[in-house]
Amino acid sequence: MGVALRGAGPILETRGATARFGAFTAVDGASYRLEEGETAGIIGPNGAGKSTFFNLITGLVLPAAGSIHLAGADVTRLPPHRRVKSGLVRTFQLVSVFDALPVLDNLTLAVIHADPSLASGPGFLLGSSRRGGLEEAGVAALDRVGLSAKANWLTSELSYGDKRKLEIGIALALRPRVLLLDEPFAGLSDHEIAEVLRLVKAIQGSLSMVIIEHKISHLLDMVSRLSVMHEGKIIAEGKPATVLEDPTVRRVYWGGGQGRGLVEARGTRKAEA
Amino acid sequence: MTGFLNSTAAARLRRFDLPILATLFLLLAWAISIQRATDFIIFCVFVLAYDLLYGHMGRLSFGHMLYLGTGAYAAALTAEHVSANPFVALLAALLAGGVVGLILSPITVRTTGACFALINLALNQVGYFLVLVALARWTGGEDGLAVTFSKVGPFDVGDKVMMFALALACLVGVVWLMRRLTDSPFGILLRSIKQNESRVRFLGYDVVRAKTLAFVLSTSLSAFAGGLSILNYAYVTPSFIDTGRNVEVIFASLIGGAGSVYGAVAGGVAYMLISNFLPNYVQRWEMFLGFALLLLIFKFRAGIWGSLVARFGPRRAEGT
Repeated sequence: MGVALRGAGPILETRGATARFGAFTAVDGASYRLEEGETAGIIGPNGAGKSTFFNLITGLVLPAAGSIHLAGADVTRLPPHRRVKSGLVRTFQLVSVFDALPVLDNLTLAVIHADPSLASGPGFLLGSSRRGGLEEAGVAALDRVGLSAKANWLTSELSYGDKRKLEIGIALALRPRVLLLDEPFAGLSDHEIAEVLRLVKAIQGSLSMVIIEHKISHLLDMVSRLSVMHEGKIIAEGKPATVLEDPTVRRVYWGGGQGRGLVEARGTRKAEA
Repeated sequence: MTGFLNSTAAARLRRFDLPILATLFLLLAWAISIQRATDFIIFCVFVLAYDLLYGHMGRLSFGHMLYLGTGAYAAALTAEHVSANPFVALLAALLAGGVVGLILSPITVRTTGACFALINLALNQVGYFLVLVALARWTGGEDGLAVTFSKVGPFDVGDKVMMFALALACLVGVVWLMRRLTDSPFGILLRSIKQNESRVRFLGYDVVRAKTLAFVLSTSLSAFAGGLSILNYAYVTPSFIDTGRNVEVIFASLIGGAGSVYGAVAGGVAYMLISNFLPNYVQRWEMFLGFALLLLIFKFRAGIWGSLVARFGPRRAEGT
């Protein structure tokens, strides 16, 4: 892909990022680069450290070693909310929305974050959350993911697939420069997968994106670059087709008896070819 | 269950909520007595302050009497040493609550669940000790302090009708403020923190700052209620800061329906009715309060107001 203009350096970069929990090293010296406008994928078996890697990048986990850079600035020690302010936005492997709020209220904070003039100072504290511009902006954000008809539903009444779309809607409303999607297709039906896939393809190129997936069949026709994580290390990286033929990757997967995802993906590719 | 109030009718009713509220309290004063109604009103202000933390942000405090007591003693000591003007005393109470809240927030705000509840209880215990023993020279220890307030123009807190009017005006003001606070994006922020604090950080919000603000607002308004009590009673005793009395506000909040402005008022009135009148008929009335609470937990989780909204309100009402 890489349609967007190339900046001077990568939009997101980790240098030797390491996450340790006690004696266990979840992410082991991961060095990673994401170019502006690129859509990249990370695959790996369960427990490979993919989600922890996202947690490192977004600040949920502080690195034991290494550094994280966003658009050239070192954000290694910044708290999560400050990283969001610099344009780094993520979704979660288990959909994370606010069940007890109306669907529309899930968007309010994101919409204000992207455009503080909608509710600044006293307006944030004392103004109605359903006033003109604010409600419109929320509905527009819902419209983007096809949920505006359900704006006044209670979020807990949504299906899992709709919640996933809502979560992506919240992420997009934050106007990210870098969007990290953690297994966006997990737990969805085939129909819902197709919908989310369409959503993700529609935003491709307008921002930089990293997608974690366990099954890579959905990623292959979307990402320009694929990285494979195994036991906390990035063991291979490159064009999807090349990566899948990589002897190390094949050994890790087949040797470890965790090749199901890959076999399936190879099947898909053969079918496409 | 679909209610007979549709959302436009409910919205129309809500526009007149403050006059309706004031009228209901006037009726209450007529039905019981004006002094008792004043007591009820002041307690409702305290429940509202408490529920901002508990109902809206999901932080259950076992030590909010500390903040009520802070306001009570601040008002009494101001009247004793600074100015006998009741409004100055009230302002001093509000500010003292804010300052104490701000000082304690670095300790309290970072905790959740049982930890938050118990830290407040521990701090309350310290405050109780300070008032009873360490600062007894100023607070009057166990005996407390009697205070006298001066008249401001024709206004006299010693006059029970004027005191009732002042308390009611304060309640209406606080209800208005709480409704605005909870209907606003800030209200959404608090409810989001209640559900998933960590997730809120990934929306770009500084959660600690929001929680500090909510905490300080709650302590200030609790202290304001304490100050009002002193205007009403003209004396202060350690019972205003007694840790054992925390149950009252917790019960009231639960009875009314936590997380709703009108629910807090309903709970405050319901609790006061029970505690004022049940003892006339039953000696160990607290036991029945316990039964009432069990019933609430198992049958009416949403409290009085929540059940009313579910029964008569529009579908998917937010219950504010």
